[in-house]
Amino acid sequence: MKTIVKSRLAELLQTMAQDFRVLVPVKSETVSQFVPWQEGLTVNLEGNTVLPPKDIFFPQTEKMYKFKVKGSSVDIEEFAEDVQKQVIFGIRSCDMQSIDCLDKVFLTKGYEDTFYKTKRDKTLLVALACTKPQDTCFCESLGLNPLEASGADIQVYDLGDALGFVAKTPEGEELLAKYASLFTEVNAVPQKVEGFNLKAEVAGIPEKLAKMFDHPIWDEVSQKCLGCGACAYLCPTCHCFDISGNVKADQGYKFRCWDCCMFSEYTRMAGGHNPRPSKKERVRNRFMHKLYYFQERYGQLLCTGCGRCIAKCPVGMDITAIIEKIKEAEV
Amino acid sequence: MSVSTADIKRINPLIPIRGKITKIVQETPDVKTFHVTTLDGQKPFIPLPGQLAMFSIPQVGEAMFSITSQGPHHLEMSIKEVGQLTRFLHEVEEGQECGIRGPYGNGFPIDYCKGKDLLFIGGGIGLAPVRSLINYCVENRKDFGKLTVVYGARSYADLVFKEDLFENWPKMENMEVFVTIDRPEEGWNGHVGFVPAYVEELNFSPMVTITCGPPIMIKFVLQSLAKMGFNDKDVITTLEMRMKCGIGKCGRCNIGSCYVCLDGPVFTLEQLKLLPPEY
Repeated sequence: MKTIVKSRLAELLQTMAQDFRVLVPVKSETVSQFVPWQEGLTVNLEGNTVLPPKDIFFPQTEKMYKFKVKGSSVDIEEFAEDVQKQVIFGIRSCDMQSIDCLDKVFLTKGYEDTFYKTKRDKTLLVALACTKPQDTCFCESLGLNPLEASGADIQVYDLGDALGFVAKTPEGEELLAKYASLFTEVNAVPQKVEGFNLKAEVAGIPEKLAKMFDHPIWDEVSQKCLGCGACAYLCPTCHCFDISGNVKADQGYKFRCWDCCMFSEYTRMAGGHNPRPSKKERVRNRFMHKLYYFQERYGQLLCTGCGRCIAKCPVGMDITAIIEKIKEAEV
Repeated sequence: MSVSTADIKRINPLIPIRGKITKIVQETPDVKTFHVTTLDGQKPFIPLPGQLAMFSIPQVGEAMFSITSQGPHHLEMSIKEVGQLTRFLHEVEEGQECGIRGPYGNGFPIDYCKGKDLLFIGGGIGLAPVRSLINYCVENRKDFGKLTVVYGARSYADLVFKEDLFENWPKMENMEVFVTIDRPEEGWNGHVGFVPAYVEELNFSPMVTITCGPPIMIKFVLQSLAKMGFNDKDVITTLEMRMKCGIGKCGRCNIGSCYVCLDGPVFTLEQLKLLPPEY
């Protein structure tokens, strides 16, 4: 296995940063997230980031096009987007799975989302194996392997004092070959993953939910939800967006930004009709989407077991508890 | 091969092309029909009957509308004044530039309708999307059987497309038009009453039916059609939902696992009965 001692990781990242925009997990006082590598940064190899990496391809707000108004004339112009080749270093199995979900949304079913695709196409994914699940992690229950991320170009293993790198795609091979001089070939066996605190039994859940649209469970489940949207913003797979504009005098631009199905305006039409008028319908749609609708449309769940929504919900809503309730519900 | 900005605009499905409102027709006190072309006077794209367009005044907003009709060089959208964008649109004059992108959605099942008698049932502005198919049938008259239109609005003033309703369509061979208004009014000698009751009164035999109107009208029309023995797979409607992207990504127009912008807006009653009642 190609290895590098942890004390030389910064050197590897610094070298890579001459050829790529390198994104790494970094912890600050208030939050942890993926940020562009700069000399002096400390890469956080413990646990996952608080914020998911989805904003690398799907920024929280993204300018789409600009316009100029002159009387009744409106000029529309694209923003020139200069997308660099980039490497995401240290992404976990759950977040790799979320990229697979986002790829399905943004790149399939007849339309490719250009804004997403330009960034996605230029990205290499260097995944980091998880050995110590956090209290709120349950990816294993969703069929993921915390040690082997599907779709990664390179899988990295924590070997204690060193990190081991294994290429999984030709692009990954190429990347490792490019920096071969920094690695040492060592016979190493990756650590095993410690046990998971949290579990969820998802087998049969989509099929069961197909019969639960009118079930009283939604009155109960939605009761304590505040509709704050923190779950959707922290979810690595939530992809809903709004399109809005910013106008100053005679010019402005259109942008898209993350939106959330918990907000009442989300589905409210100009005439006032709202197909999901109360919290109950909105909470139901959220869990139906994650655990049934997405499965029906794209063949997989829209949850990766990362546990961020559980960790940060201000009223302690827990998707694994909801899955359990669904499992036990009488239909 | 280099790609020009114009090409990029075409291939990025979320960026509108520049258009121009070339003609505005006042249909009712709160409905106007807008004729839209590209800046060089061409049709922005060629929609199928029942498909949708994202129409925008970039500095105000963007929304999805049904395309009610098209000419060789333009698209037509009939728009009721209800919100911010539509209020602005009702103030603009001919020559106003705009943005437009599309076409979106599945459109009406034309092949399924071919060779059959068709019943069109509309209420208020709901005739706008249905009209795209009526126009298609009128233009390709020999491909379809008898055409029957039942349409109603609150008052005479609120009837859209009066020229079609009272002049053009009744003159067509093998085509009948029945118009009703909700309450009696001076000068109106036609039928008075709600659309669903009128449909029952006319007592049609089951046939392929295309209906659109306010949710409450659709609800009772569906009940009337069921009473008359209409088949769920022959009852076709077109839905409306709040939309932002139009290409099945932004999330909000779902009904169950369907996205109305992509998989709709046209559904048969048979299809709708398989979806959660959330529209």
